[in-house]
Amino acid sequence: MSGPIVLVLRILLTLGLYAFLGWTLWIIWQDIKQTGLRVVARKIPAIRLEVRTRNRAPALRSFSQAEVTLGRDPSCDLQLEDETVSVRHARLSYHHGQWWVEDLDSTNGTSLNKEKLSTAAVLMTGDEIKCGKVRVNVSLNGNTDIQNV
Amino acid sequence: MADQRERRLLILAAIFLFLYSAILTLAPAVREQSWNVSYRLSHWLGFALWAALILFAHRTLSQRLPDRDPYLFPLAALLSGWGLLTIWRLDPSFGLRQSLWLGVSVAAFTAILRAPHDLNFLRRYKYVLLTGGLALTALTLLFGTNPTGSGPRLWLGCCGFYLQPSEPLKLLLVVYLAAYLADHMPVRLPAFPLLLPTVFVTGLALLLLVVQRDLGMASIFILLFTVMLYLTTDKRRVLLVTAGALTLAGLVGFFFIDIVHARLEAWLNPWNDPSGRSYQVIQSLLAIANGGTFGRGPGLGSPGLVPVAISDFVFSAIAEETGLAGTIGLLAIFGLILARSLIASMRAADKYRRLLAAGLTAHLGIQALLIIGGNLRMLPLTGVTLPFVSYGGSSLLTSFIALAFLLTIGHQTETEPAALLSPRPYFLLAGLLGIGLAAASLTDSWWAVIRGPDLLTRTDNPRRSIADRYVLRGSLLDRDNQPINATEGKSGSYQRVYLYPDLAPLTGYTNPTYGQAGLEASLDNYLRGLQGNPASLIWWDHLLYGTPPPGLDVRLSLDLKLQKKADFLFNRSKGAVVMINAKSGEILIMASHPGYDPNKLAQLGQALATDKEAPLINRAAQGLYPPGTAVTPFYHAVGETDEPASQVKSLYKSLGFYSAPHVQMPVAQPSADGEIENLRVTPLQMTLAAATLSNNGTRPAPRIALAVNTPQQGWVVLPSLSAPVDVFAADNISLVAQTLKVEDQLYWEWIGNAGSNKEPVTWYLAGTLPNWQGLPLTVVVLIEGDRPLMAQSIGRQLIQAAIKP
Repeated sequence: MSGPIVLVLRILLTLGLYAFLGWTLWIIWQDIKQTGLRVVARKIPAIRLEVRTRNRAPALRSFSQAEVTLGRDPSCDLQLEDETVSVRHARLSYHHGQWWVEDLDSTNGTSLNKEKLSTAAVLMTGDEIKCGKVRVNVSLNGNTDIQNV
Repeated sequence: MADQRERRLLILAAIFLFLYSAILTLAPAVREQSWNVSYRLSHWLGFALWAALILFAHRTLSQRLPDRDPYLFPLAALLSGWGLLTIWRLDPSFGLRQSLWLGVSVAAFTAILRAPHDLNFLRRYKYVLLTGGLALTALTLLFGTNPTGSGPRLWLGCCGFYLQPSEPLKLLLVVYLAAYLADHMPVRLPAFPLLLPTVFVTGLALLLLVVQRDLGMASIFILLFTVMLYLTTDKRRVLLVTAGALTLAGLVGFFFIDIVHARLEAWLNPWNDPSGRSYQVIQSLLAIANGGTFGRGPGLGSPGLVPVAISDFVFSAIAEETGLAGTIGLLAIFGLILARSLIASMRAADKYRRLLAAGLTAHLGIQALLIIGGNLRMLPLTGVTLPFVSYGGSSLLTSFIALAFLLTIGHQTETEPAALLSPRPYFLLAGLLGIGLAAASLTDSWWAVIRGPDLLTRTDNPRRSIADRYVLRGSLLDRDNQPINATEGKSGSYQRVYLYPDLAPLTGYTNPTYGQAGLEASLDNYLRGLQGNPASLIWWDHLLYGTPPPGLDVRLSLDLKLQKKADFLFNRSKGAVVMINAKSGEILIMASHPGYDPNKLAQLGQALATDKEAPLINRAAQGLYPPGTAVTPFYHAVGETDEPASQVKSLYKSLGFYSAPHVQMPVAQPSADGEIENLRVTPLQMTLAAATLSNNGTRPAPRIALAVNTPQQGWVVLPSLSAPVDVFAADNISLVAQTLKVEDQLYWEWIGNAGSNKEPVTWYLAGTLPNWQGLPLTVVVLIEGDRPLMAQSIGRQLIQAAIKP
């Protein structure tokens, strides 16, 4: 009689082991899902860019994705039609809780507030980016007040 | 969040271990199939200590590392508890020691959690720590001991506690390499700064190998160094160089270093030397095979049969008792630990901690794979421990310290992970460890499920004789159901008793030391219950108890009354008597002298096998004698005396002299086909041939096992294994029998002699006449010596007793 009782216990033992493993995998899966959702739901503050090209009226564009490329090429998120601008000129990206700007090895360079960029730099509202001869004014957090510098 | 998850997992782990302990307690009742047994209780102390220590460690973790990885600690806790209970099951005194070591390990674990989280103290004192570790290891060269009293002296001991310094040395090496390499990053090959650690590690490994003869530890040092260097440099040539170097070292070792040669030889050709150098690995495979898919259950296998089951072979002990299901779970736990550790490494805040975590992962993974692979004969055997599971204080302590480092490094803070040049080496490390674990699972399935049933029938599997102590073996009965060999005692101490020892050369013995012989061997499947029982019952008993069902009684054709008379008449002569029913072939008497007393096998032991008198040989069926003039009546039956050789051959062939009788007992290899000059026949062959004179020219098929007593259908007749053969025309043979008739008696007789002057043998053949209406009988007496009168006297008395009972 002890045999069948212990057999039941042995089955429970194996189930117990796999319950442990199953539960571990289940919460790891939950963890991954949660992290994924958190990343997706992470709010990226919209960036508004006012483009001032010579001989044209200022154009205002707003972006909410994490990466914005600037350049003459039509595939760029913000197309700058000026011969002083390279095909892919500069990139704005959001990481570490801030918007950053970096030059993409452009011919005429990118400057931030009149200083030539060599590495990525943090952007703030009111900054002015200059790609070639095109000036781009930055405002963050949906702030619509574009200040002229 | 992490606290809650960890607590739930710990509760599940505790439930698993509780069930394990409960089964272990009940195991003796299952083994002996009775409630009146002494139950195992001591391991509950181990379970209680485990629960208390783990609860304490969990509390400390909650305080110190609120945002830790919630999986690592429960996984390690389950492993250590599983190991602890397995050790307790194998040997309670070692279980108690391991529980105390678990206390020490948890103390060290919590102490490290209280240290600063950047682990910079390790980095700062890397040389001090490494020198300390080396000094301790060096001390073993002078004061080394071995707790078991023999074997490699790798321990430092005092007051009953032993430390193996090479265990913490591995950890210190990882710390040192992580700190050193992080300081010298990025490393470009070939780099001068790497010269120092390379020379150092290689030298250390060689020293360990040559001086301490510790193959496992030497391989771990080399592999760890390779992994850390590869992680730093991201150059695959590091791996290639090490692989090449290890192959070269293996080849050199194979030819020049004894221990390497022995290990590799035992790995490559284990079946050549199953009782010598590959004894351990074959016993390990047998344990895994006995576990099968679901295992025998805690306390219900025999893992103690594998040498050093508590440390080196703890994996096969677990495999035997929890089966493939349990070991795949175990491998999955290791997989999860390694995965979480690598994630901790990727998230580490600086290069030093990242390398440290990766190195610790590699350390746990490599060591686990080396010993599991060794247990499974996937890799050569290296005597390292299974982290968290194996018995060994130093190993458990080292594993828990590594766990504390990993948890500290994986503690998530707001800081971003350090920059990583290329994730490739980390992916490769994860991939290799994963492939290793998957390969171990597949190899495990191979031995446990596919090769398992074959392996278990090996004669060096001691589980069969252990099962014999717990399961009633069937009895051997004579034709009137008088017991000849029976099993006595109660479950757990069953013993075979040989009630009629004179039959020993025929019935043989079954003995845990000397194995089986005679009918006990050839009818073993019935007596052991593996044949004759329904397959479902065999399956069910194997599942429940890991043993075959109770054995079945086998009824033999022997007539104990006649047998006793034959043995009495034979007295002190050497030779054999066979009497059969000439029609049915049933063997009524089969005596062989001298014999032995199988009840005294333990005392007689090996002397029996070397005895010049050969008492173990059943002369009636295994003794080969020249037929000499004993065959003359057969010539008469064919009609001519000067036969050309080809006709003699065909006569002998039809008499069955060139073929072994098909019967459930060991018989001698017959003479080669066509042999005349050097023809040798057994008394059994001669009896079957002589039976033609009493059975109208037909040679009967011999039978010894008549029926088996099955639980469902009662006595089931066992058919004879061959068919009768017509040898002579009935008229011819009848005439011959009449000419040989004994005056005033109902039988014929013939005395023949054979053999050289030095070794003469006497044959006496007799049988009932063909027209006899009663039981047709044939008897053959063989005496080693020139004793025609004695042979005649024995033969006549026996046949008269059989005719008129």
